[in-house]
Amino acid sequence: MSTVSVRYIVDDVDAAFAMLTRGDLRLVLVAPVPAGHPGGGSRPMPDGTPQRPGGWNRFMIEVPDVAAAAEKLRAAGVRFRNEIVAGVGGKQVMIEDPSGNPVELFEPIRPEARLARQ
Amino acid sequence: MAGDPLDALRLPVVPVDPRPEFATALHRRIEATIEGGADPGGRRDSPTVRYFVDDLELAVAFYCRQLGFEEELRSPPAFAMLYRGGLRLLLSVPGLPGAGAALSDGTVPAAGGWNRITVQVSDLGAALEALSSAGVPVRAGITRGIAVRQALIQDPSGNLVELIEPAEGYHERT
Repeated sequence: MSTVSVRYIVDDVDAAFAMLTRGDLRLVLVAPVPAGHPGGGSRPMPDGTPQRPGGWNRFMIEVPDVAAAAEKLRAAGVRFRNEIVAGVGGKQVMIEDPSGNPVELFEPIRPEARLARQ
Repeated sequence: MAGDPLDALRLPVVPVDPRPEFATALHRRIEATIEGGADPGGRRDSPTVRYFVDDLELAVAFYCRQLGFEEELRSPPAFAMLYRGGLRLLLSVPGLPGAGAALSDGTVPAAGGWNRITVQVSDLGAALEALSSAGVPVRAGITRGIAVRQALIQDPSGNLVELIEPAEGYHERT
């Protein structure tokens, strides 16, 4: 059972809606829809503001070797927002989905930074 | 009366102050391990989301008081880690070292955008009313979607959180 759900706004998804699962994460992809569309998650706000892809808030994917993962993704033509940076808990890099939404790849270098909870 | 000859070998007893947060964290880990018993490694991946917030203290208070998150650790002024069930929420402050640092081209991350976490509630009307009366800004009131009713609220930095109440036809992966 998915216990955690994240909604991303994307430009191009068949039928305006897709539900993906990765471990315990449910990722809901929705394209912006007009007011009155049956799908409610990506309608404009009451004041008319449309929903758009982008921003900086993102989900993270833990990888054992961020450099190797980045190399494979780059070879596959995936866009990067930055180069690998070393933070306090680990090394990280940000890729973009085709709509420009960020996804963070994270290689923990401290045990408490691991996604898996003992 | 002669003392126990082994006393000389015993280490002195050092009183240790109780640390409730340690006990709480340990309890949570034990529970998570039991829950994750079906997993061969006994480990559970915690889906993790990073949100950018302008004021760490305000943000931690908001997520813990209004939405039922628990504080796992806080490293002021730049970072905090919260949990809610299986979700790990990282809060980073733009412009400070760590994930909030500027990119190599100088771009600084910022709060906001439309991508968001969803929090499932059993009674959306009641939840929204309680949040509203606590002063939480409501970005979009209740709308009916496919298989859910939903609303959007904002944290103190303007990040969106979606509240959903499952309706008929709601899909749950088993």
